Amino acid sequence: MALFKNLKLNTFQIYRSSSTLCQTFDTSLLKFPSGINRIPQRQLFWEKDRKAGYNSKEQPGKIQHIKDGFKELKSEFKLFTQEIKEFIAADPLLIARPGETDLIWCFNDPSIINNFVTTCDSDHNQGYSSCGFDPSPAGRALFHGYLDTRVPKDGQVKKAGYCSIRSKRIRKSFKRETTFNWNLYNTIVLKVRGDGRSYLLNISCEGYHDITWNDIYHYVLYTRGGPYWQIVKIPFSKFILGSKGRLQDKQTRVRLDRVTHFGISCGDKINGVFNLEIEYVGLEYDPTHNEEFAYEMYKTDRYIVGV
Amino acid sequence: MNVNNILRNIIRSRTANIICQRWKSSDKELTSYDPFLAKPQKTKETYLEVIKMFEERDTRRRGHVEFIYAALSRMKEFGVQKDLEVYKALVDVLPKGKMVPTNVFQAEFMHYPKQQQCAVDLLEQMEDNKVMPDSEMEQMLLNIFGRRGIPLRKYWRMMYWMPKFKNLSPWYLPDKLPVDTMELAILALQRITSVDSDTKIDIWKTEEIEASLDKTWIVNGQSRVQQVLLAEQPPDEPLVIKGPFNVYLQDQIVTYFLLIGKTRPEYKDDTDLDDVSNIERPPRIPGVIGKVTLPQVKNTIHEQDDGTIVAICATGTSSRDSLLSWIRLLEKYNNPHLANIPVIFTLIAPPSDVSLFDAQQEKDTNKNTSSTN
Repeated sequence: MALFKNLKLNTFQIYRSSSTLCQTFDTSLLKFPSGINRIPQRQLFWEKDRKAGYNSKEQPGKIQHIKDGFKELKSEFKLFTQEIKEFIAADPLLIARPGETDLIWCFNDPSIINNFVTTCDSDHNQGYSSCGFDPSPAGRALFHGYLDTRVPKDGQVKKAGYCSIRSKRIRKSFKRETTFNWNLYNTIVLKVRGDGRSYLLNISCEGYHDITWNDIYHYVLYTRGGPYWQIVKIPFSKFILGSKGRLQDKQTRVRLDRVTHFGISCGDKINGVFNLEIEYVGLEYDPTHNEEFAYEMYKTDRYIVGV
Repeated sequence: MNVNNILRNIIRSRTANIICQRWKSSDKELTSYDPFLAKPQKTKETYLEVIKMFEERDTRRRGHVEFIYAALSRMKEFGVQKDLEVYKALVDVLPKGKMVPTNVFQAEFMHYPKQQQCAVDLLEQMEDNKVMPDSEMEQMLLNIFGRRGIPLRKYWRMMYWMPKFKNLSPWYLPDKLPVDTMELAILALQRITSVDSDTKIDIWKTEEIEASLDKTWIVNGQSRVQQVLLAEQPPDEPLVIKGPFNVYLQDQIVTYFLLIGKTRPEYKDDTDLDDVSNIERPPRIPGVIGKVTLPQVKNTIHEQDDGTIVAICATGTSSRDSLLSWIRLLEKYNNPHLANIPVIFTLIAPPSDVSLFDAQQEKDTNKNTSSTN
């Protein structure tokens, strides 16, 4: 729920209202030119960095980059020819078969786990949680870890305690980024085995403009706990738009043709071990569900909502 | 560095400086006076007493923002963080009428920013503690900040979303969980066995078994289907007790154990004449096309691919002896076949996931000791 803390919320009406988990930026994360002593600044008109300073990937040098690129040419060309073949052979998909689940990620194959990355607050020195995403003893994928809501005493971080997994960005050959197109379906289906905690499903729909970089649609995944698998079906109409973790006043339906990432996070403010075993993530078309969007879209008074 | 860059830096940092002076977060400031610390008894009454004392001390109520922040941070200590009445008492500290904007400029440019921020932080803490405000709170906030106040927006948002999320969970739990561990265990087992509505939850005492050492309770969950599955277990294949596993009920953890039989062969349905699962998948179609049965569809829910679950229990002590009593009690009630089947105990070690906090502390202490050496 939007907290009117950041300056841009109050001054510029276009901006998505946001306030991050941590109050101010960690200055060491943002690489400023040295020499001038500066206070952490807030960008008023634009965000220059998609990851807002949380980029932990080491960039190789230019020459190294070119060398590595040449090594990947072979596999990329292979991918490219396959794409061309598919383009010629296949007609566009027009219908989804009702009652059948199309699996996007099926973790019976352990290599699928590599399509996901894990993040937790200790990665950025903003907490003490830890997590992992590994093959489970039953041959599926296990999202496990320890959630710790203790706040490090650095005087900057206000709240801590999150762990999450997120799929890698889907791409075409030659590292061109693309998006999932899930327009045929209206339900997401997961087969999971949890521990009674509630998790958060995140569907990111990053766009081109900086305003949409942090758009994530959320919904809660309640787990039963225990040894039995549970099949969760959640209609996309129930997903709620949030930006940097804050629910937005002006809600919209998930842009299913613009889905860039899918993720699951654990941050229910309960200290302790968590375990979530996942068998598959799939999509389904449910003809009986014709709800467009589950939340009210009526207009409110001016200057009250979305300001 | 070129001149342009330096110039830009200077200009940027100065504007940021000016802005941030006004918008500086007030969290970092210290309260000079802490009446909460002096209270020997940490209860709701004493907490409200302190608020009353502050209100009566000074008619102008100087330092009320700092007071509210201090009070918010002390809530857990007094155990009142889930009490709406206390939050209302805190909002009541703010003066009425004075901070209502009277013109458009005041309304637009955040009249009394510190006070508004403080009220928003208070509401945020309510949200974090799952406390839903009521309409009286709205009236109080309206009297303090007026219709255009930012705390009011926060309040309206909370009242829009919180009722939507309040009863979303398909497994109902009461707001206040029972203190008794046995009651908790019953709740947990009811939740786990909700997959099979036929499951009967029994509460047994180990006193019934004369040879038992631990005198405690056992909560057992078994359905009639599971009794049949157990009876079909061949006597030469042992049953396995697995555990302890954890299940969370809000913030409470209940440990449970499973009795697992052999993995039964997958149910093969050969009658499907329209089976197209063997055709080649055309390109550009996501997932698996034409496969009618998803992986791991079994005959009954209890037949999982890593074993057949024939019973589930939670005991008072989670000890080996209580589990032995559980097996004997199972045999006594409706599972006579259990007398012929060997049972293996495989109690797993606790998971390796730990908080990094302890590890870091340990490292710090090590560093300290090494530096003193």
